[in-house]
Amino acid sequence: MDSNMDDMYMKPGNQERGWNDPPQFSYGLQMARGPQRNLLNKRAAPPASDWYPGAGAPPPFSPSPNPLSPPRCGVAPPPLHTAPPPPGCMATPPPPSGPIRSQKEAESSQPESEPDVQAVVLVLKRALAACRRTVRDQVCNDVEKRLRLLEDGWRSGRLSLPVRRRMDALAQELQACHWDTADEIHRSLMVDHVTEVSQWMVGVKRLISETRNLSPELLEPLHYPAEPVQDPTEPDQDPTEPDQDHTEPDQDPAEPVQDPVSPS
Amino acid sequence: MATYQEFIQQNEDRDGVRFSWNLWPSSRLEATRLVAPVSCLFTPLKERPDLPPVQYEPVLCSRANCKAVLNPLCQVDFRAKIWACNFCFQRNPFPPSYAGISEVNQPAELMPQFSTIEYIVQRGPPAPLIFLYVVDTCLEEEDLQALKESLQMSLSLLPPNALVGLITFGRMVQVHELSCEGIAKSYVFRGTKDLSAKQIQEMLGLMKPAAAGNQGRPAAPQDAAASCRFLQPVHRVDMNLTDLLGELQRDPWPVPQGKRPLRSTGVALTVAVGLLEGTFPNTGARVMLFIGGPPTQGPGMVVGDELKTPIRSWHDIQKDNARHLKKATKYYEALANRSAVNGHNIDIYACALDQTGLLEMKCLSNLTGGHIVMGDSFNTSLFKQTFQRVFSKDYNGDFRMAFGGVLEVKTSRELKVCGTIGPCVSLNSKGSCVSENEMGIGGTSQWKVCSLTPSTTLGIYFEVVNQHNAPVPQGGRGAVQFVTQYQHSNTQKRIRVTTIARNWADAQSQIQHIESSFDQEAAAVLMARLGVFRAESEEGPDVLRWLDRQLIRLCQKFGQFNKDDPSSFKLSESLSLYPQFMFHLRRSPFLQVFNNSPDESSYYRHHFVRQDLTQSLIMIQPILYSYSFHGPPEPVLLDSSSILPDRILLMDTFFQLVIYHGETIAQWRKAGYQEMAEYENFKQLLQAPLDDAQEILQTRFPMPRYIDTEHGGSQARFLLSKVNPSQTHNNLYAWGQETGAPILTDDVSLQVFMDHLKKLAVSSSA
Repeated sequence: MDSNMDDMYMKPGNQERGWNDPPQFSYGLQMARGPQRNLLNKRAAPPASDWYPGAGAPPPFSPSPNPLSPPRCGVAPPPLHTAPPPPGCMATPPPPSGPIRSQKEAESSQPESEPDVQAVVLVLKRALAACRRTVRDQVCNDVEKRLRLLEDGWRSGRLSLPVRRRMDALAQELQACHWDTADEIHRSLMVDHVTEVSQWMVGVKRLISETRNLSPELLEPLHYPAEPVQDPTEPDQDPTEPDQDHTEPDQDPAEPVQDPVSPS
Repeated sequence: MATYQEFIQQNEDRDGVRFSWNLWPSSRLEATRLVAPVSCLFTPLKERPDLPPVQYEPVLCSRANCKAVLNPLCQVDFRAKIWACNFCFQRNPFPPSYAGISEVNQPAELMPQFSTIEYIVQRGPPAPLIFLYVVDTCLEEEDLQALKESLQMSLSLLPPNALVGLITFGRMVQVHELSCEGIAKSYVFRGTKDLSAKQIQEMLGLMKPAAAGNQGRPAAPQDAAASCRFLQPVHRVDMNLTDLLGELQRDPWPVPQGKRPLRSTGVALTVAVGLLEGTFPNTGARVMLFIGGPPTQGPGMVVGDELKTPIRSWHDIQKDNARHLKKATKYYEALANRSAVNGHNIDIYACALDQTGLLEMKCLSNLTGGHIVMGDSFNTSLFKQTFQRVFSKDYNGDFRMAFGGVLEVKTSRELKVCGTIGPCVSLNSKGSCVSENEMGIGGTSQWKVCSLTPSTTLGIYFEVVNQHNAPVPQGGRGAVQFVTQYQHSNTQKRIRVTTIARNWADAQSQIQHIESSFDQEAAAVLMARLGVFRAESEEGPDVLRWLDRQLIRLCQKFGQFNKDDPSSFKLSESLSLYPQFMFHLRRSPFLQVFNNSPDESSYYRHHFVRQDLTQSLIMIQPILYSYSFHGPPEPVLLDSSSILPDRILLMDTFFQLVIYHGETIAQWRKAGYQEMAEYENFKQLLQAPLDDAQEILQTRFPMPRYIDTEHGGSQARFLLSKVNPSQTHNNLYAWGQETGAPILTDDVSLQVFMDHLKKLAVSSSA
């Protein structure tokens, strides 16, 4: 997964439930952590020069107002920026991935187009169809049930934009047979958005691990350009099964979105 | 020549070893006079990306009671193909596979840079990783929901072939059968009745009918796989287990007004330990206990269900008024020992605002190498991220966890091993290198560490054997070999061998050399571990007195002074920080219980006796960095004089990260200067400590609390309680002078402490 800014963020901890709860790092940010940089583990030498020879002089005190003097009205401003900036203001350089942004910021600054539910679901369903030849029915049906939950959730607007984007990326990786990358995206979704995805993501996870084991011939349909799939073993006659109606190629942006019938 | 500091750092990087003394005194009496024992901090599985493991068996000394591993310190006769053991001097022929060796063709284990080497060995079938979740359902709805999600998430972090199991408990204990058939089935146990391992295994149907009468004999492994419907590979049951977890409900038994929920933690753990004992003895396994309150019924009960009876406090314990304490502790200790024998570890994730009984249950983790994590709620970033980090991976993509470790220490004959302090149990292996004099867990040269991470660190204590009239001859070297056998998280069996040596020195003629070989950081942590170990069984004041006595003796031994003249007292640079470490240790929560609950004290001590040197030292004396316009961030004294109006301070206590904005900085921030383009540098200044704090937050296990405060803020107390109170309300005479921030306390300051220390050290009557 290329380190998309989408996946690198920090959000504040839950101050309501835990006092001084630390901020939460996204999965991408946790993984992107390079080798440990400068550790802050130095200690100042004790000032008592009479304590041992060679001890440094007492730490230099810069002149500053007496804390016990009566409060002044108005404070002098900080030094202006025109002054040369302090050499190396930070003890450690900023992370290589660039500044970390808050989640909101990261999400709002993405001008890209909305991922297409149909395209994503189509890839997943094709993968499932490929699995049907070798994988036990019960497992396939279980996966199918979860894909339906995903689709319903998406169509009824219950999935947030980052989840939809990452699912789009996951489907593309799956289609390209990049199993490890797809699996990594699944993991990042479970870590960062577990509340939204936990119900159905396990089906996607299983799908990745099952398709990974398939022979190349079975995988071929996965690479076809997007067109509707005819599920050979349509199990239960779900009347709201949405993909029956989608005979249009998924690139069509004007494709009306199915009415959310969410039979969850 | 390298300085001692470079030598010490190199040894830590290469071998994961820090010794208190890097020259060893040549007789027992002289060793005793050095006050700090010859001892080391040893990190058995220190991460070594540059050390590829070798794929063959180690070569062992043929003497039956030695069996030391061939190492770079051995004398080798390349022509005769013979090596002499550097521990027992036995001459050993090389095995046939070494026929081709010569001076220019040496195996890795003979090269000096391989003083630490790791072998991959073939021992039995590869064992899967096993994770058994034991989940309290007497939680608030929000907490239960968050916990369920974290558990579901963890299934994505586990390797697909790991085995998982689920036990839930409230008033009853349920062992869930995991199948892929989608029919939920569970075995229910009453939470009030203790059960033997045999009973549990019978009730769960884990025993072969023929073996049923065979007391204590676990079912054979081939049965285990078949019979163990309770532990299944993640890749087979993840969908059903996800649903099962998703459908978990709060304990359905009504909780009357004024009562605590009935929580059968004791029986739940017995069932977990019994289940693993019967199915996977001697295979690494992790029991992960999640609790939201104290055990309130059955064996292991810590407090009754009447809310009007509060859970025991230090005060109750001191007054011998903690009804359940002894019984519960004994119960959990027995369970911990059983678990350790089987090589299984127990983690405790306790999230509640009140105490949960960690004092009684701590042994479960302390004896088995398990984690303890303490938080306020499962719905916090502190818990969620700490839990995620349990499953973090190393540079090879392997889990940072190892199982079933056995550490053996071998010494050359002038040394004996007295014991260790760390997350382990004794294996009662009495060899010739075991001392009569016990320090920590002693009387053995082998310890079991059921679960290890790359940072797990043991304190190991030694004694010099030679008597004063027959000291170790000059010019020789003493040696110690650490042999750690363990199950790698990729299921391989591995053996890591570290062999080190130090020179002997005559304490009469070479005392200055010995003094300059002193590693004050290691010594401070090793003495602190001894203090914390004592504090578990002795009264607090006695431990402090013992520590003080040791410090005074050390200063008497190494200080330069004229008798009865405190002002003449001087310490050399190699000891200069040591008294300061002891001053902060005396104030630390590891030895002071004031203001901490028994659970908190247990929690702090749990982490203190397992972390590596750097982290341990942070716990003893927190790190303080200062950020200002005057230059790059710099470490400053942990002292009230460092609290200045135009500085931002970053304090790391290991358990807390505090960012403190001085008075002027806080006012500037309030006035919004950071928003103005011309004050970009102020914005940067505000950001700098945040970035540095983030770096710490991203690596620390467990996640620390994060406190962003300013001058006058109520949370500034976290900083004020840690700094040396050099200015208090009692000595504020320095009007008009740069003073830092006065602390309202009657605590002794470092200066007063040092003055007393000097007085006592130089006193002719002391």
